[in-house]
Amino acid sequence: MDQSWELVQEGLFDYPLADRQRPALLANRCNKCGKTFFPKRNLCPDCFEDGNLEDILLDKRGIIYASTVVHVTSPVGIKAPYAYGYVEIPKNQVRIFALFTGSNPLSFIPGQEVELLVETVRENNRGQKIIGYKFKLIS
Amino acid sequence: MREVYIIGAGMTQFGKHPAKSLRSLGLEACLNALRDASVKPKEIQAGYCGNALAPALQGETGVGQNVFWEVGISGIPIVNMENACASGSTALREGWMAVAGGFHDMVIIAGVEKTVMPKGTMLNVGGGELETQLGDVFPGYFSLIAQKHMEKYGTTREQLAKVSVKNHFNGTLNPYAQFQKLLTIEEVLNSPMIADPLTLYSCCPNSDGAAALILCSREKTRNINGRPVRIAASVLTTGTYDNQRDITGWEVEQRAAQTAYQMASLGPEDMDVVEVHDAFTISEIVHYEGLGLCPPGEGGRLIDEGATELSGRIPVNPSGGLLSKGHPVGASGVAQVVEIVWQLRGEAGKRQLTNPRIGLAQIMGGNKEGDTRACTVHILIKD
Ligand SMILES: [Zn+2]
Repeated sequence: MDQSWELVQEGLFDYPLADRQRPALLANRCNKCGKTFFPKRNLCPDCFEDGNLEDILLDKRGIIYASTVVHVTSPVGIKAPYAYGYVEIPKNQVRIFALFTGSNPLSFIPGQEVELLVETVRENNRGQKIIGYKFKLIS
Repeated sequence: MREVYIIGAGMTQFGKHPAKSLRSLGLEACLNALRDASVKPKEIQAGYCGNALAPALQGETGVGQNVFWEVGISGIPIVNMENACASGSTALREGWMAVAGGFHDMVIIAGVEKTVMPKGTMLNVGGGELETQLGDVFPGYFSLIAQKHMEKYGTTREQLAKVSVKNHFNGTLNPYAQFQKLLTIEEVLNSPMIADPLTLYSCCPNSDGAAALILCSREKTRNINGRPVRIAASVLTTGTYDNQRDITGWEVEQRAAQTAYQMASLGPEDMDVVEVHDAFTISEIVHYEGLGLCPPGEGGRLIDEGATELSGRIPVNPSGGLLSKGHPVGASGVAQVVEIVWQLRGEAGKRQLTNPRIGLAQIMGGNKEGDTRACTVHILIKD
């Protein structure tokens, strides 16, 4: 009954993916002011009940806004060194926090183009894979 | 609104206190403040206690009631405040409001924390946040800010390191500071990398400690032979979580500073001494700019010029700051104000500045969605 994986948080992306379904982040957008929210919000903070939030999928392509490499293992158990930062999604005008993935954690620089992946972030102490989202460089 | 004065200030030494409980640290700080003010516990009409992590780290809640009862304060309204690193300063603001609003004439403020962890462990705080679950750590978030500040303004690693060198020098003059050790720029730069570009000595330590203040109305100061320091401004702001903002500055801090200057009818040029939230070297640079001590982007130059050293135009963190004095999270905001009070009274020992009259303390707490949850600014005047 214990499955081999767990989501880092519910509602961020579909998992497991259906046949031929591409990974995408689930967001929503206020139909009054146009602001996009990831993770999804229940209300637009500017429009309150004058705006309705519509579900959208974020574009899978982003541009690195800021990046760092952490050289100590994180308290949740992500092994050092690992890279993360902020990714701008130009198509949706939103900036999101994200881990970076690839063979070299030092290779992520602001301005570079990256692409979304849904994959294991770490394992928990019951040996389950924690599934989250990451970005990799577009080569 | 009534004028509010600080008539008592006290703290414990900051550092590693494995044998002392939250209560014993709190007791020591509160006793020091009460004795400093020559006030008896029974004269206190309300108590406000800042603590951020005891529920998570010690499994202890209601720290305020526990601490104040140790000194014999009970029966009165006591409130526990949690606003991350701004917990203590938020408690101060609550106490200030109660006296300014005429609800109480004399109150006690405490900040208490124990965060020293076994070697090699990082504080696992904010585990409920998505960013934390995805590996975000405090030095990492601040390293992103450093990267953007360096990219936009040309701030250098050496300038960042100078903040730590300055504050460690100041710490050697402060017997309450955790570190009593001089550092060179090279030692800061060559210490182990934590989150590029921030090295170990670019980050404040985990600490145990407590600090306390006694506040009262103007009328009450007449019966006291103390050296009252007036609170000319007390401001608390919350982030707006604008996810596309420029992260080289905190709007939440700029707004707090502007509001505080207006409240005090003063400007940044009037400040004689400043304590800021230097949890990381880059933070102090950004706070110079956020508080208007220099224009945006010139924080690196300000440290290069030596303007913020003890002998400079506008000394910042004479206490040693969080980097050297230590950072018992919920106590730091109160301890900053203790330092300003001592400086304004001329009781700061070897690090005493020459006749400062006006001081400012700034601290912020908690990351949320790439912004800061809480920021406080206090301005104090020795009339
Ligand atoms: Zn809206």
